[in-house]
Amino acid sequence: MPGRGKLIAVIGDEDTCTGFLLGGIGELNKNRKPNFLVVEKDTSVTEIEETFKSFLARNDIGIVLINQFIAEMIRHAIDAHLQSIPAVLEIPSKEHPYDASKDSILRRAKGMFSAEDFR
Amino acid sequence: MSLDPASLRIDQRLLYFMDQLEILEEKRQKLNALIEEGWFNISKARYSMGNKQVSALQYASEMDPHVYVNTSLSENGVVEFQCEQTEHKAEEPKESDTVENMGPTEGGLRRRMNVRQKETEDESTAKGQHEEERQVAPKAEKAQCPLQEPLKWFGILVPQNLKQAQTVFKEVITLSAEISTLQNVILVTREELQSQMKEKQKISLN
Repeated sequence: MPGRGKLIAVIGDEDTCTGFLLGGIGELNKNRKPNFLVVEKDTSVTEIEETFKSFLARNDIGIVLINQFIAEMIRHAIDAHLQSIPAVLEIPSKEHPYDASKDSILRRAKGMFSAEDFR
Repeated sequence: MSLDPASLRIDQRLLYFMDQLEILEEKRQKLNALIEEGWFNISKARYSMGNKQVSALQYASEMDPHVYVNTSLSENGVVEFQCEQTEHKAEEPKESDTVENMGPTEGGLRRRMNVRQKETEDESTAKGQHEEERQVAPKAEKAQCPLQEPLKWFGILVPQNLKQAQTVFKEVITLSAEISTLQNVILVTREELQSQMKEKQKISLN
């Protein structure tokens, strides 16, 4: 649809997806693939990675929200994503609180300084 | 060439970078707290409605998004994200489109004696009209309510906790867009700082 903004995608556990779908981000119809993935105990890492890459490849997704513990499973794919759009935002899960030291964005920002720079 | 202007520029960008990191940290803490509050409300709703009444099984088979994010590129190369929420409007149905006339189209009593042929003709025309009206009614309902409220997936009467969870997650979505913008600002500032530091090194070698 012309003039329509981009979607927000989510890859998370059931409660995370339920919450964001309640917030109104969900899109699911016969013609298009959904913009969310509910990760359960039996969801394979391959499926998660493929879904994440498919979200990156779509030009109608602006932000990808992902539980940090799931992001850890596909850290190499997240670190390889250097484009501004879609933005990847790591969020906590019920069993794994947010850890800033694992966040890809903050790690990239943190590793910029060395002792020589302050001479 | 003097190092002072280059050093001054670097210092200014570094201070700006640190400020943005501090703002990001604050928004992150708020986001995490809101998400936890949302989960808590969902758990409370699940406790009152039943374990399997608030789960992925209740998701609709077709969904339309209520929230979109608009991206714009600013002059300094920063991508800004802004959320746009479309409100679900329940419009009042038009009487001419949705009221179904189930009764006979003609007023008065119907004769049953000696007019069987006439009755069958009347019934067939009345049925045809009823079918047309029924076909118009669902189309009118679809056109008037294109965005389904996600709360309705879980039942007609949902507990207050589920509505609170929805409110909280809407706030989380707005905050997520702000954090995405901040992350982009931080990365762009980082690149600027790195290029300015390289410039400073070139100047110092000369």
